[in-house]
Amino acid sequence: MSSQRRGIHLDQSELLCKKGCGFYGNTGWLGLCSKCWREENQREKQKQIQEDWALAERLQKEEEEAYASRNQKAQSQPSITPFNKFEERKTKEKSSKVNTVTKFFTPSSKTQPKKDASPFDAQASPSPSSSASRHSSLDTDHATREFIDFLKPLKSGREIFKQCRAFTESMAYKRDMGADELSECVQDFYQNLSDRLQTQFKGSSEHVESVMDEVEKYMMTRLYKEVFCPETTDDENKDLAIQKRIRALHWVTIEMLCVPVDEEIPEVSDSVVKAITDVIEMDSKRVPKDKLGCITRCSKHIFNAIKISKKEAASADDFLPTLIYIVLKANPPRLQSNIQYITRFSNPSRLMTGEDGYYFTNLCCAVAFIEKLDGQSLNLSSEEFELYMSGQASPYWPQAAGASSCSPGSAALSQVHKRLDLLTGLGERQERVMEKARQLENDLIDWTDEVEQKVQSVLQTLPPETQNPTTTTATATSAASSAIDSDNVENELLPPPLQPQVFAG
Amino acid sequence: MAAGGAGGNSGSGNRTYSFKVVLLGEGCVGKTSLVLRYCENKFNDKHITTLQASFLTKKLNITGKRVNLAIWDTAGQERFHALGPIYYRDSNGAILVYDITDEDSFQKVKNWVKELRKMLGNEICLCIVGNKIDLDKDRHVSVEEAESYAESVGAKHYHTSAKLNKGIEELFLDLCKRMMETAQAEERLKGNGASQSASSRRGVQIVDDEPQATPAGGCCSSG
Ligand SMILES: Nc1nc2c(ncn2[C@@H]2O[C@H](COP(=O)(O)OP(=O)(O)O)[C@@H](O)[C@H]2O)c(=O)[nH]1
Ligand SMILES: [Mg+2]
Ligand SMILES: [Zn+2]
Repeated sequence: MSSQRRGIHLDQSELLCKKGCGFYGNTGWLGLCSKCWREENQREKQKQIQEDWALAERLQKEEEEAYASRNQKAQSQPSITPFNKFEERKTKEKSSKVNTVTKFFTPSSKTQPKKDASPFDAQASPSPSSSASRHSSLDTDHATREFIDFLKPLKSGREIFKQCRAFTESMAYKRDMGADELSECVQDFYQNLSDRLQTQFKGSSEHVESVMDEVEKYMMTRLYKEVFCPETTDDENKDLAIQKRIRALHWVTIEMLCVPVDEEIPEVSDSVVKAITDVIEMDSKRVPKDKLGCITRCSKHIFNAIKISKKEAASADDFLPTLIYIVLKANPPRLQSNIQYITRFSNPSRLMTGEDGYYFTNLCCAVAFIEKLDGQSLNLSSEEFELYMSGQASPYWPQAAGASSCSPGSAALSQVHKRLDLLTGLGERQERVMEKARQLENDLIDWTDEVEQKVQSVLQTLPPETQNPTTTTATATSAASSAIDSDNVENELLPPPLQPQVFAG
Repeated sequence: MAAGGAGGNSGSGNRTYSFKVVLLGEGCVGKTSLVLRYCENKFNDKHITTLQASFLTKKLNITGKRVNLAIWDTAGQERFHALGPIYYRDSNGAILVYDITDEDSFQKVKNWVKELRKMLGNEICLCIVGNKIDLDKDRHVSVEEAESYAESVGAKHYHTSAKLNKGIEELFLDLCKRMMETAQAEERLKGNGASQSASSRRGVQIVDDEPQATPAGGCCSSG
């Protein structure tokens, strides 16, 4: 039952687009759906684009001046290979006889990759202001500043910044490019840049990684709104589909998934709640690395829950079912869009061999499992599964499943009976509670009587010692004892009320 | 990127290799025990100082080359079998574990080999591991059968005991050396300092004339 409590309940109407178009809205888009949000923001955007560019230009100019004055020698010999070299290599690779198949995460591209899809073609167009950066906000300005600050001490910092800026810029020309090609572009850019850095830093992978992290942060903060859940994909539909699917699976219990956590333990249920919160939070981050960070934190809370419940370190056998359970409970917003976005635009080495990549892969597994799961995967018969899915029966009242095998009508009827039984049961329990309460009341009265008696007997045996009580004490005591006595008039065993004089001596 | 197993450049001598290795096999054959023994030298540890045993790493230095090994445990329950391709994509090596006292578990290994070869071709280094050799008196898989099978599929066979800490260092060291050779051969093929192609970087390669296999339970695919 505790699993039911955890669900986050929202009214259907709260989820729909504020414009009433029938699609789901999103708080990130002020309650609008992606379409309406785009329309709403078109004009706003145009203005921001201009401002963005003004700032970028200014920053660039500042940077160039700073570099020119500081390091004139380095300028004559750029540390990064000219771009035509990249082009050559790209062509060579394209002609190789090897096919890419089986991309588990990205849908296969429907259109042929464009010949001019090189991430570096923007270099050929020298005027950045002629192209349009897609959006601006305090965030992106901030990201630009941070990026520049980070690059300043590096020998090739200026080159890196120029490349990243030009590339980010060039993405604006690729509005109607498919998501796969956008991803290819970004991934090629990461790859080429990190190869150059690898040479430059003489193989210090930590150093390369730290630069690549900043590159990703800068680029993806700027590109986020354009490349997250783009219109060219059906990411949004997939989001709605998995959201619906998870809602339909609300009845799945911890036992069916064989989840090794015991939510009766407060620390465990606390970890479960934190894991749910973290996976939901993923949607609010922009940079792939930050989104992955949410999944990793979620996973650590899961490990904690398992470790406390099982008293041993969690293995993959424990982790995956628990993660599935958490995803079912959380129903994270725009789950598919987030997964796709991370897959397309994250620094690849993090996904392939890093710890974040492991947890992310498990999240992908959890989603795949949820999409495909049937009765068998939950140790249920397919009849039971269908009944639970259609809402005709619930695993919380197991008998209903048996009765309902005749017809839906009788299933409904049997549920009504179940509920009546439940109500009767509740009534009986309330009776019992009342009875206990009355008994408790009597016990309390008896107890006061008892205490009373003891006090009296003690008082009687008390030797009269005090000689000169103040009048106030005497009056107070008198009032108190008479009050006590008045409660006990029926009790014949009690001695007669004490006189204040006796007590005061 | 940090010179992924098959990627990165070969410019300087002190590069770091990063390898991803997946552990596959039926439940209870000792996958978790093997990796915990290798990375933390623990077996059936009652004092749980380890938070989790599903993703573990080990840094090695092999003939002057740095190697970062990431070992991915996989959920072994039958109902998660279809998720295999999501786990093993982009991996440089796979350790396929069976229990020498359990014939069924060896059959499962054979199924994994078939699947891996079909999906990943020869780029992945396969290790077939017969675990629990301390229970040799209950052996149900013959040494000859296992070793000749491994040879027939281009895998290497190892015998281990997580309990007695036998054969485990050798297994991982050997695997690392083989993965380094594969990575170096690939670099040579790609030409000096050339970057990895986009396809090998993120996808899986097969030759043109093979049918395109669709993975069972592929995550988030459009189809
Ligand atoms: N005798 C013996 N038992 C082992 C050995 N390795 C693992 N086990 C036991 O086999 C059981 C399953 O091990 P585990 O690592 O959880 O297997 P997994 O499900 O494949 O991860 C545990 O009870 C281990 O103690 C071994 O080398 N010898
Ligand atoms: Mg295990
Ligand atoms: Zn709308």
